[in-house]
Amino acid sequence: MVYFINDIITGALIGLLYALVAMGFVVIYRASKVFNFAQGELVIIGGFIVWFTTMQLGLSLWLSIPLSLVLAGLVGYLIERIFLTKLIGESVFSMVMVTVGLLILLRGVVLLLFGASVRPFPIIFPLKPLLLGDMLIPMNLLIGGIITIVAAVGLSWFFNWTRSGLRMTAVAEDHVVAASMGISVKGSIAFAWILGAILSTIGAMIFLSGKSLTFLASDIGFAALPVALFAGLESIGGLVLAGIIIGVIQSLTTNYLDPIIGGSLGSVVPYIIMLAILLIRPTGLFGWRTIERV
Amino acid sequence: MTYLSKSGLGGLLAAGTLALATALPMKAQAETTYNLALLSDFSGPYADIMPILASSREVVFDWWNATSGKELGVKLNYKNYETRYDAAQVASLWPGIKSELAPIAVVGLGGPDVAALSERLPEDKIPMFMATAAYGFAWQPDSWIFNPRPTYSHEAAGFLAWMREQRGGDEPIKFAVLSSEASPAYVDMGKGLEVYAEEHPEAADLVEVIYTDVQPTDLTAQMRRVARSGAEAVIIQTNTSIVVAAKRGLQANGADIPIMMSSHNGLPASGKALGGLAQLEGDFEAYGMVIAADEDTEARQFYQTLVSDYGLKAPWNVVTAMGISQALYTVAVIEHAIEENGAEGLTGELVREALFAKPITSEETHGFLPSLTFTPEAPFPLKGLKVNVGTVKDGKITIAATGVDVPDLSKW
Repeated sequence: MVYFINDIITGALIGLLYALVAMGFVVIYRASKVFNFAQGELVIIGGFIVWFTTMQLGLSLWLSIPLSLVLAGLVGYLIERIFLTKLIGESVFSMVMVTVGLLILLRGVVLLLFGASVRPFPIIFPLKPLLLGDMLIPMNLLIGGIITIVAAVGLSWFFNWTRSGLRMTAVAEDHVVAASMGISVKGSIAFAWILGAILSTIGAMIFLSGKSLTFLASDIGFAALPVALFAGLESIGGLVLAGIIIGVIQSLTTNYLDPIIGGSLGSVVPYIIMLAILLIRPTGLFGWRTIERV
Repeated sequence: MTYLSKSGLGGLLAAGTLALATALPMKAQAETTYNLALLSDFSGPYADIMPILASSREVVFDWWNATSGKELGVKLNYKNYETRYDAAQVASLWPGIKSELAPIAVVGLGGPDVAALSERLPEDKIPMFMATAAYGFAWQPDSWIFNPRPTYSHEAAGFLAWMREQRGGDEPIKFAVLSSEASPAYVDMGKGLEVYAEEHPEAADLVEVIYTDVQPTDLTAQMRRVARSGAEAVIIQTNTSIVVAAKRGLQANGADIPIMMSSHNGLPASGKALGGLAQLEGDFEAYGMVIAADEDTEARQFYQTLVSDYGLKAPWNVVTAMGISQALYTVAVIEHAIEENGAEGLTGELVREALFAKPITSEETHGFLPSLTFTPEAPFPLKGLKVNVGTVKDGKITIAATGVDVPDLSKW
């Protein structure tokens, strides 16, 4: 029974990591209605920035982490300025296609700048797990889970209760209308990309702490996709619940079903849930239902 | 001082021209050129090792052209093709490679090449020579794709048998396998070891095959399960990221279970990804090829020749050994074909026939590979299979065992 509970807790914490990465999707979507297919690549860029400042420049973690977050924000800002700002007012589809192009471009840039070698990622969180009796909880996931909840609460408050957050929501509704109301569309979208890049970098630190860094790590972006769609692309608070549900189901499947069937059902099950929810409730659990009058 | 008359000078020039005219066709006849297509991955999952692998196999062709090829009057041209380790890319490139190069052999890289070309090469009558171990799903008779090493499962089974012998006692050795469903080749590694455990219950007890992502989020829970089951070894023949995650998982559980890796994700690569070889103290790599350790072996001496005389810049490691061994057995087979059929008119079909006609001795591959006897029954030698075992001792890679016998394994 102890192990069963432990598997549930570990699954929930992994789900919260997915939720943190998915927050990058949601933040950008809420500010621009653009689904960023390059979210996994932002995780990689963030990971390489952390690796570069820590392992190459030799800075202490206390210095390299804030510096990495600033640099990641700068990357997010540059991406928006170079590739997306000129598309404001154009169809959302064009912007989404740009993110598909970004996915390929960022992968290429990583290969060009850093090469394809597998690198040791710095140990940011303690490797020693937290022991609670017979239960064992990985520290990186535990701290990551706490960060996710704090980030979700903070961002929910920001989007729902601050003028800046509400302005970003208005921008997502319609760029032209928002601009005609005096809202800085460019500023809102740029801020969302900065935030998305910073969240991805925090996700990279939790995901990769003490492990290895290659561009394969961008797969975490795909792992976070079911969480984002399950929660609904507008709901930040919903991500926490969706992440926990998907993480727990995945953990139980991996630990109890996979050994029986001898397969990797655990890595497929989040996508099965995603497809099921898209069939039953296309807006996700907490997504906004829009009424269109014709 | 003597001066040549005009007519004398003219005669000398005429004689020189005649001599040159007769010599030129002779020179052209003396060197027959054949092409080799080299499949490479400079931008996909193996992009990190590709520059080393590519330069290692290219330098052997240069060495062969300058030595045996010169004597036989044959030159091997080669050209790399970027496949991104993608079967679709290989399939789309292949018609162009065939028409551009008309190669007598293909020097392949991995599973996607096998998947894309296994049906085409028999029709085109061009053999492909691999560097890696073989795959169970490709274990078919009358193959045109060949591996100098048995399947990954054979290699792991050899290691497990050796480890049991080292441990002593009659109990079977308990082991777990970490694999991934990201690639059919990875799945195949687990399937083969399941067959091994079923067929040899007295020798091996497979506690679990764990399938995970190629970049796992966390394996602490899975490694705890492995530790609880009493496993004495963890077999990981997939990639370095899984080795790193498994090691961290074992460390988090305070479990000291040795990991066995293969050549492509071996001790140097995984050690580098973990931040140093010391992290893998007591872990192993095992495969049917020379271990690139510090010891002075025949293979190491040949590598030094390639470095000093042919400008090889690759370091002495397992990837370099893979590239060199692959190219060495390829040129050995081509040499056999030339000895049998003459330098002119060599075809892919004749090269394949030469592979079955005569064993490739360990001496011919300078100790990089054991003696290889291919038969049409399988794409790899079925008899006399051996593996070598390397380990990390005091922070250095050392040879733990050589020429370890591989147990019999039925086709799966």
